[in-house]
Amino acid sequence: MEYAAGIDVGSTQTKAVLLDASRAIVARALINTGANVKRAGQTALDTLLSQSGVAKEAVGFVVGTGYGRYKIEAGNAQVTEISCHARGAQLLFPGTRTVIDMGGQDTKAIKVGPEGDVLDFCMNDKCAAGTGRFLAGAAEVLGLSLDDIGEISLRGTQPIRLTSVCTVFVESDILGYVAQKRKMEDILAGVHQAIASRTIGLVRRVGMEAEFTFTGGVARNMGMVRALEAKLDVTLNVSPDAHFMGALGAALFALDHVLAGRSVVPAAADVPAEWVTG
Amino acid sequence: MSTAVADVKDYRGRVHNLSSRIMTDWMTQLKQAAASGSPSAYLMISGNCVEILRCFDILPVFPEINALQLAIRKKSLPYIIKAEEIGYASDNCAYVKADIGFTLSGGVGKDGNIPVPSMIVCNFVGCNVYIKWFEHCAAMFNCPLVMIDVPFVREGDRPCPGDVAYVMSQLYDLIHQCEELTGRKFDIDKLREIMRHSARAEEGWTRCKDLCKRRPAPFDAYFDSINMMGPINALRGTREAADFFDAAVLEYEEMVQRGEGVLPEEKFRIVTEGPPPYPYYRNFRSLFETWGAVAVQSTYSTVGGTWEFGFRHDPDRPLESIAEQMLVHNLCNRTLTERYAQIRRYVEEWDADALVIHSIKSCRLFSAGQGDMREYFTKELGVLTLMVESDLEDPRYYAEAQMKNRIDAFFEALQYKRIRGAAHAAAAKG
Ligand code: SF4
Repeated sequence: MEYAAGIDVGSTQTKAVLLDASRAIVARALINTGANVKRAGQTALDTLLSQSGVAKEAVGFVVGTGYGRYKIEAGNAQVTEISCHARGAQLLFPGTRTVIDMGGQDTKAIKVGPEGDVLDFCMNDKCAAGTGRFLAGAAEVLGLSLDDIGEISLRGTQPIRLTSVCTVFVESDILGYVAQKRKMEDILAGVHQAIASRTIGLVRRVGMEAEFTFTGGVARNMGMVRALEAKLDVTLNVSPDAHFMGALGAALFALDHVLAGRSVVPAAADVPAEWVTG
Repeated sequence: MSTAVADVKDYRGRVHNLSSRIMTDWMTQLKQAAASGSPSAYLMISGNCVEILRCFDILPVFPEINALQLAIRKKSLPYIIKAEEIGYASDNCAYVKADIGFTLSGGVGKDGNIPVPSMIVCNFVGCNVYIKWFEHCAAMFNCPLVMIDVPFVREGDRPCPGDVAYVMSQLYDLIHQCEELTGRKFDIDKLREIMRHSARAEEGWTRCKDLCKRRPAPFDAYFDSINMMGPINALRGTREAADFFDAAVLEYEEMVQRGEGVLPEEKFRIVTEGPPPYPYYRNFRSLFETWGAVAVQSTYSTVGGTWEFGFRHDPDRPLESIAEQMLVHNLCNRTLTERYAQIRRYVEEWDADALVIHSIKSCRLFSAGQGDMREYFTKELGVLTLMVESDLEDPRYYAEAQMKNRIDAFFEALQYKRIRGAAHAAAAKG
């Protein structure tokens, strides 16, 4: 049996997914990227192999994605995370027409066609305002774990109104509210709403078309899910694998290549050979 | 830092060499004028009236070209910072800042490469930053400033007779100023002769651009156009510029006949809007080349004039046609919807796959409205459109990884669309 791997080297974490020929996920890996991007990619791949017991030689193709994609030595090709998130989301939720991907340093809205093809996309400006980094900053100022702030925010009843989602000013902004003795949950509810408002702007630019699938690391944060749903007035598809969506998409592109190599007629949505630039 | 100019691969042989030769000649003249003090005048690129200056042998100097040359040689930042030190705001047009900083650092004058202008002609066309820029220059050099007020064309693509008469009356004033400066009488026959050269260059430029309708396109109408924008905008009205375009037509026609394109393989045809990021010109170009993407038309190349739609300087109506060119036959003095129409024709007539907008951080004037433009092309016309942002002069706004990410994703999407289209077509055939 042949396998295909996708490795998504993000700014904070590296995610990897191993697929078998039937497109089933056989292993996942999640590690901190750290300073050595090259090593992170390799460690993620090694983790996939040891977890699944699949031999290295059985992995027919590896696609890298994320900002560190060109640093992955084992990568046979690179595809941007925009194409990968679209593809991954379409596999798990075939009705997806809009993907909202929120990661550590950027937020994207992607308009997707019925075959996981990217029709349009918009992303935040060069700075990291309104992304996962902002949430991390808020958690740090309040002395909380990033994993908890979403749940806490859901208890807020009188959310504060944050005017900026700038990661540089997050500290002073939030400390101001702490000094005013505002409740922790209200501060956090406000933080989540502020990011949601900014995200809606991106989504509107590509056009609001259901179904909406929320992907990326921040999708694990229930507070963010609810805040976005309230602002968009829709229900979001959120998979437990939301965090792995980029890696999954990358693995799907890799699998296309594996299948094409076995001279199985490729599906319409398969990775073109031209992308395989090494 | 290495100089980008030297690193740039020699793309299209003759045309590029010829262009750099005649542009170097002009720059040598500038240097000589700087030393000798012979008459020279500052002028803007956009819809300019260089023919009138040429008629009096006044050497035209274009601060915009000086600024972009600093940027492409990766020398703009210290000058930009210098201008910021004296109070220019961080979001002020970086062309202005580089030029002002350069002047303050002694780049203009006897010991520099640029002459102190004997006169400053502000052909205000669309951009009101021009006015302040040239006012500041006039104050620095303490020289006469001729401000030509060109009314913005709010509707359609025809100038109204009143506007033409108004601009012409100001051209007469300019002519008087030139007479005073040089002590020479205005010679209309000389102007007609100059305009014949202009029209010939415009005809050649148009034919070059028309050849980009062919597949593959013989040159990149965005990146290679800058080699032709120098001759058409700065050297227009000279025999050399007109000859240059004849040679360019010849070279491109030959390429078309041989079926030779600018890249080994032309995979995508794009139309571009906005100037390139000059500080990273080479890098930016290669982000498109990797994908086999060639610009078949660009709005930037029409800043000086939109000749591809038929306008020519007319020796039989010299001042009138100069006024018309300043009013409507250039990119900048028209409404956003006229710009839409221009791009739409480009996409349709030059048979492009997509539109790429490079939005300029420090040029609020022409970047305003590009969000709507993107929406109009994607949503109403179904033209895949990419919008990226950096700056034409200030290197601080360029983030390579993010730029690459957006461009790669865009071409992945185009590629994907094409592959799927082919697969569906094959499936339908059975
Ligand atoms: S048009 Fe833009 S780049 Fe040109 S001078 Fe005006 S503000 Fe500067």
